[in-house]
Amino acid sequence: MTRSLKNSVPHVVLLIYVAIILFPFVFVLFSSLKTDNVEISQSPFGFPTELNFQNYSDAWVKAKIGTYFFNSAYLAVTSAVVGVLLAAATAFAITRMKFSVSSKLIYGIVLIAMLIPGNVLFIAQYKLVDVLGILNTHWSLFLPYTAGALPFSVLLVAAFMKSIPGELEEAAIMDGLGAAGLFFKIILPLTVPALVTVFIINFLGNWNEYLLSYFFISTDSLRTLPTGMVGFRDAYQTNYALISTGIVFSVVPVLLLYSVLQKQIIEGLTAGSLKG
Amino acid sequence: MKSTLKNPAVYIMFVLPTLVLYGLFFLYPMFSSVYFAFTDYNGLDATEYVGLDNFKNAFSDTNFRTAIINNMYFIVFSVGIQVPVIIIFALLISNVKRLKGFYKTTVFMPSILSTSVIGILWQFIYDPDIGPITDFLGWFGIDPIYWLAESEWAMVAILITNAWQWVGFYIVLILAAILAIPKDIDEAAAIDGANARQRAWYLTVPLIKPIISVVVMLSIAGAMRVVDIVLVMTNGGPYGSTEVMASYMVNKAMKYGEYGYGTALALIIFAFALVLTFIYQRTFGRTERIEY
Repeated sequence: MTRSLKNSVPHVVLLIYVAIILFPFVFVLFSSLKTDNVEISQSPFGFPTELNFQNYSDAWVKAKIGTYFFNSAYLAVTSAVVGVLLAAATAFAITRMKFSVSSKLIYGIVLIAMLIPGNVLFIAQYKLVDVLGILNTHWSLFLPYTAGALPFSVLLVAAFMKSIPGELEEAAIMDGLGAAGLFFKIILPLTVPALVTVFIINFLGNWNEYLLSYFFISTDSLRTLPTGMVGFRDAYQTNYALISTGIVFSVVPVLLLYSVLQKQIIEGLTAGSLKG
Repeated sequence: MKSTLKNPAVYIMFVLPTLVLYGLFFLYPMFSSVYFAFTDYNGLDATEYVGLDNFKNAFSDTNFRTAIINNMYFIVFSVGIQVPVIIIFALLISNVKRLKGFYKTTVFMPSILSTSVIGILWQFIYDPDIGPITDFLGWFGIDPIYWLAESEWAMVAILITNAWQWVGFYIVLILAAILAIPKDIDEAAAIDGANARQRAWYLTVPLIKPIISVVVMLSIAGAMRVVDIVLVMTNGGPYGSTEVMASYMVNKAMKYGEYGYGTALALIIFAFALVLTFIYQRTFGRTERIEY
């Protein structure tokens, strides 16, 4: 008896913590199905009296959550894909090709960037996209997102490529492959696990990014979810049911991704923080 | 054979796009930041060199001082309160036999979500009229608290939200280190009669000191970087009570157009972060490599 009691104490403590983590999600999910604030305030912890899906179509169409969602999705995916490919190409050049002096130099320069916290360059980057004439276009997010992910991505992919045995590429070169062919046909497929990790980290970072997208984009229809949600909150301040729906729309895709790729996501993000 | 991997055209083609983007969005902003910081650049008048004026002004700027103090609150809270909690929870999870994976997956979850969406979500939870916390406190006869509108509560509210988002991330970092300790050490101690608490305190904690040190470092860095959650939840208010260095810097530049002054603030933030990291590594953060 005492033994089983002793064994259950950690579980009780941990389950309380889990409840604190999960409560806001359940609360928002319930609220999104309620008709209005009155119903929420009457029983904040209760189930909705009847499932009200009207909020979902209202939020998606009227409140433009659909537009923000699409903007976020395509920006996050394209810049993560481009970032991964550029990082892979660079990592291949500096780890597998025989230009050791310039490769060391490039590697060193890339390392320096890891020391600089992102916010520090914010104003200078704002002025830069202004000068480039891309302020208030998606380029002003796509380019800094892609560039911002490069240092870490190059380091991680380079570390992985270094471990690929050299015999493999010797054989491929004997068979007549050029450097580019070697990269695309041999090295890139072998690097897929590292590329997946890097893609996930970059995708999540872009999907969640707030500061740049808030200040670089002023046209409402170009906004991404995190900033669109803030505008949405300011516009519908009195309607928490609708705001909850918006939160559900922005959280669910990430949670779906997480439910499938939790192992890669956890490994990738923790490795990312340790390298950085 | 060697010539294939010595093809300069391919090499250049492979590194050039990265270097161009890197130069444009890292190197150039680094140099232009240093340049802006010594000018009165405001986007309207002709820009003039003002020497160290921006830096002098920053240290006599009472609002910026408040922001520095608020960053210190973040550091003290995340190192002094969060880190012990993180270690305890990581130890608890590592010791349970069942549901280990479930706990790990769940506690990690908030850290993959957008800080801005989490800020909005918690605003709702803190809402004094219809939020659940008001109801909860009501059970104990406590009047509604205007969490985000009262100076003495706003900072606490933000710190709690920030902890809710990040504690799980660090738990998983430490948990991984605990699970990497070979089992036989723990078993040997158990055979010698050490109970679970003794083993955790005298065996596990000393062995995971290096990762604890890393978590403290990351917490300090995170506390210096914090900005999104403040901008979304309070935008520094009420009356500057939640303003942090980065939000003050962003607002100075974007609201008032003081780009020169703003970049000087950015460089000060950077210097602060470097100095803190350096001091920490020289004092508490010294750890030897541990071999099993």
